Amino acid sequence: MTVPLRLGAGFVLALIYGFILLPLVVVIASSLTAGELMQFPPQGLSLRWFARFFADEALMQALVLSLRVAAVTTVAVTVIGTMAALAHRALSGWARQWLRTGLLLPLLLPELLTSIGLLFFLYRIGLGKTLIGLQIAHAVVTLPFAFVSIAAALDQLDPALEDASNSLGASGWDTFRHIVLPLVRGGIVTGALFAFVTSFDMFTVSFLLKPIGGNTLPLALFDYLSYDYDPTAAAAAAVSVVLAIAGVVVIEKLVGLRNL
Amino acid sequence: MTEVRIAGLRKSFGGQPALVDVALEAAPGEMITLLGPSGCGKTTTLRCVAGFLAPDGGDILVDGRSILDVPLRRRDFGVVFQNYALFPHMTVTQNVAYGLRVRRIGAAEIASRVAASLAEVGLTGLGDRLPRTLSGGQQQRVALARALVIHPRLLLLDEPLANLDAQLRQEMRALIRAVQRRQGITAFYVTHDQAEAMASSDRVAVMERGRVAQFATPREIYQRPVSRYVAAFTGEASALAVTLRAAHAPDRYTVGLGDAQMEVPGAAGLSPGSRHFLMVRPQAVTFGPSGIPATVREVAFFGATQQGEVELAGQALRFVTDPNERVVAGETVHVTLDPAHAWLMPEAAA
Ligand SMILES: Nc1ncnc2c1ncn2[C@@H]1O[C@H](COP(=O)(O)OP(=O)(O)OP(=O)(O)O)[C@@H](O)[C@H]1O
Ligand SMILES: [Mg+2]
Repeated sequence: MTVPLRLGAGFVLALIYGFILLPLVVVIASSLTAGELMQFPPQGLSLRWFARFFADEALMQALVLSLRVAAVTTVAVTVIGTMAALAHRALSGWARQWLRTGLLLPLLLPELLTSIGLLFFLYRIGLGKTLIGLQIAHAVVTLPFAFVSIAAALDQLDPALEDASNSLGASGWDTFRHIVLPLVRGGIVTGALFAFVTSFDMFTVSFLLKPIGGNTLPLALFDYLSYDYDPTAAAAAAVSVVLAIAGVVVIEKLVGLRNL
Repeated sequence: MTEVRIAGLRKSFGGQPALVDVALEAAPGEMITLLGPSGCGKTTTLRCVAGFLAPDGGDILVDGRSILDVPLRRRDFGVVFQNYALFPHMTVTQNVAYGLRVRRIGAAEIASRVAASLAEVGLTGLGDRLPRTLSGGQQQRVALARALVIHPRLLLLDEPLANLDAQLRQEMRALIRAVQRRQGITAFYVTHDQAEAMASSDRVAVMERGRVAQFATPREIYQRPVSRYVAAFTGEASALAVTLRAAHAPDRYTVGLGDAQMEVPGAAGLSPGSRHFLMVRPQAVTFGPSGIPATVREVAFFGATQQGEVELAGQALRFVTDPNERVVAGETVHVTLDPAHAWLMPEAAA
C-alpha cells in the first residue's frame, strides 16, 4: 500500500472509531460532572451522581432485574441456540430453510409486532405481566443473534473432522464435546455476548411485557428522565457500559475469546 | 486379518446413480486399490464401507457378517482422508491418542501405543506440535498413525497422497505399503493415479461410472484389459482397429492390420470375421529395416526415453524407443509389434 492510501485508511478507521466511541466518551464524561446539569464538557469532577445512582432504590432494583433477566436469557439462549444451530447443520433441503427462517423471524419482524404478539400469547397462557413472561420474551427476541453467530461458526467446521472422530470410535457426545465445541467456541461466545447485550438494553419488548411492579434499567431510566434531567442518568449509563465490559471479561474467563 | 466382500452395492444421490452395481472382495491382508476418473464412484464406495453413507442396496460383508447395521463408531475401521482431517486444536499426540481416549483406555497404555504408532510413521519427537505447524507429508503421517493406533480391522484411504508433491508421494506410498504389510491389515485405497495403483496394490478395481469395469492384479489389468477404457486408464495405449482372421488356441488369434498379418494374444472366445481393437502398449513398437510402413507424426525427447506417435494404416500408434535411436518426424519407418505387449480386446470396433 502506498503512503497516502495508508493514511487514508487510517483516517477512515479513526473516523469510524470516533463515531462509535464519541457518545460513550460524552456520556461518561458528563456523568463525572460536579454540576447540577447533564452537560458536556463536565463542570468540575465528582462522583456524586454515581453515589446518587447507587442510592436510588428504584434504579437499583431495575439494575438487578436487568442483570438477572440478561443472565438467564444468555444461558438459555446460548444452549437453545447451539442446539438449534446443530439441528440446522444436520438438516438439508427445505426443512433446513424453514428452520432458519423461523428462527430468524423475530429479527425480521418489527419489534413492536413481536411484542404485541407475545403480549397476546403470554396472557393467553396465563403468563402476562409476569417475570417468566418477560424472560420468555427476551429469549425469543435474542435467540436469532445467538443462532446466527453459532450457525456461522458451524459452517466453518470441516465435516470431515466429525467423520474422522466418529470413525475413530467416538460417540455423538464425545464428538460434540471434544471436536465440535472447542472449534466453534468463538461463535458460541459471540452469540452469548450478543444475547446478553441485546437483552440488557432491550426497550420496546420490556416496555410492553414488564412484570407488575418490576422495571428493567432502560425502562427505569426512561421514567427517571421524564421527571429529572440530572446526571444520574449518565451515571447509570456509565455503569451499564462498565457492566457490559465486565460481562465480556467474565465470559472470556469462563470460555475464552482467544479463538474469536 | 480381515476378509471383505462387497456385493451389488448401489447408491444414488437425488435420483442420480453414483454406484450402480459394485462388487469387490479383499482377502485377509490384501491391499485393494480403487482406480478411476473423477466422479466414477470411488469415494462413494469407500464412504459406504466406512459407514459415512448408507448404500441403497447390496451388502458389505466383513469376515462373513454384514456390517450395514453396525454403527460407524463400532466398525473399528481406520480412515485416512485426502485433506488429512486432523483435529486443528489438538497436538500430534492428542490427535493420535483420540481414538484410544474415546475408548476409555488407560493413560499408560495410550502413551505407549501412541509412541509406538508415531515411531512407526517416523514422527517421534514431533508429538507436541500442532497440525498447522507440520508439512503436508508430516500431517499425512499423523493421519496414518491416528488411523493405525486403534488397531483397525480395515484401513480405508481416500486419495491420501493427492495433496503431496511427486517426490513425497513416492515416499509416503512406500511407507503406507510397508506398514500395511507389516501389520497385515486389509486395506482399500482410492486413487486416480495409475502408477500409484500399480505399484502398491495386490489387486486393482478399475471403476467406470458406478461400476467395476475390471477387478484383477495390476499385471492382469495392464496386460489384459477387458476394454479400451481400462487400457487407457492403466497407462499409455493405442487401440488399433483390426480384422480378426482366425483363432488358433482359445486365446491366440491372427489379425489383419492394413496389408499385414500378425499373431497376437487376446481375450478368450472372440469370433473371427469381425473387427476388434488391438491394444498396443508403446513399448511393443520397434522400428527396423522391415515391417509395416508408417509415417512419424511427432517425437519428443524425455531423457531416459524418446516417445511419439506414428501413423500406421491410417491409425495413430504411440511408441517409446531408446533416446539415441534416430527417429525424425515426417519420415517413413518400418514398424514391428511385439505381441507380448499387445492384447486383442473383446470390445468390438464400431
Ligand atoms: N453427497 C453427495 N451428494 C450428491 N452427489 C454426490 C455426493 N457425493 C457424491 N456424489 C456424486 O456421485 C458421483 C460419484 O462421486 P464420488 O465422490 O464417489 O467420485 P470419485 O470417484 O471419488 O471422484 P473423485 O476422483 O473426483 O474424488 C459423482 O457424480 C458425484 O457428483
Ligand atoms: Mg473421491
